[in-house]
Amino acid sequence: MRALVIDDSRTMRRIVRATLAAFGYEVHEAEHGQAALDLLEGGLEVDLACVDWNMPVLDGLQFVTRVRANPLWRAVTLVMVTTESEHSQIVRALAAGAHEYVIKPFTADALREKLELLGLVPEPVAAGGVA
Amino acid sequence: MSPIAHEEVQAIAQEVFAAMIDGEPESLVPWPDAGTGSDAVVAWVDVHGPWLGRASLETSTPAAHELARALLSMEADETVPREDVVDALGELANVVGGNVKALLPEHGTLGLPNVADRLPDGHLAAAVQRVPLAWRGHPFVVTVWEVAEPTVSVREGER
Repeated sequence: MRALVIDDSRTMRRIVRATLAAFGYEVHEAEHGQAALDLLEGGLEVDLACVDWNMPVLDGLQFVTRVRANPLWRAVTLVMVTTESEHSQIVRALAAGAHEYVIKPFTADALREKLELLGLVPEPVAAGGVA
Repeated sequence: MSPIAHEEVQAIAQEVFAAMIDGEPESLVPWPDAGTGSDAVVAWVDVHGPWLGRASLETSTPAAHELARALLSMEADETVPREDVVDALGELANVVGGNVKALLPEHGTLGLPNVADRLPDGHLAAAVQRVPLAWRGHPFVVTVWEVAEPTVSVREGER
């Protein structure tokens, strides 16, 4: 399976990348929503996109809205991975088309549980991994 | 009276370190407030909305490098590029600030993180919670600031 990690923090991209790679994903990265859209428009096909909310250029909510508006990308599962933890924000993201919501900080186990709920069952991961 | 309690700020910081860095909440412990010395690094995010304020993290430069190595799963003797230290500290501030924002009675928006050797001039906020902690023997101070008037100068995106 292929994943796209979208976060303006290089640190967080590396953490999420390492976590998903341990699950067996081939991982691509983008530093904001527009860069991610460019990759998708360029033909990158992914099963999963892990999307930060607060980013320059094009934020996570705008990215989710744009992806959901394009039927070609209907198969992409969108997971918000963000510090925005208020209930109203979660509702906004889900209403825009996100499938799941992970609040930072999170553990590898928490992310794996969310992916299992989505049917994106990862490979077994080494014990003790954190993100 | 501050809408955010000292214990809540400490719990957020410990949770962040447990999940992102050490895997255990005991790694970040209360510490006498002796400041962070002359080689400080400060990371902060601003909160905009009905409550105007800022969450900042302050530590020493050696600690900032060690934190970046820990976050990036690097070896203890590896050199961390400055941009990685800045990014790592900024992301820590972002996660702590986001969780502080969630404690507010009225929701606002979070700015992008900033990192510098000190808070910017025009920093007109008052500290409503200052939580001195230590991580691996290094000082690590989390402060929540409140702005009485919307006059704080914000420099966003300076990673």
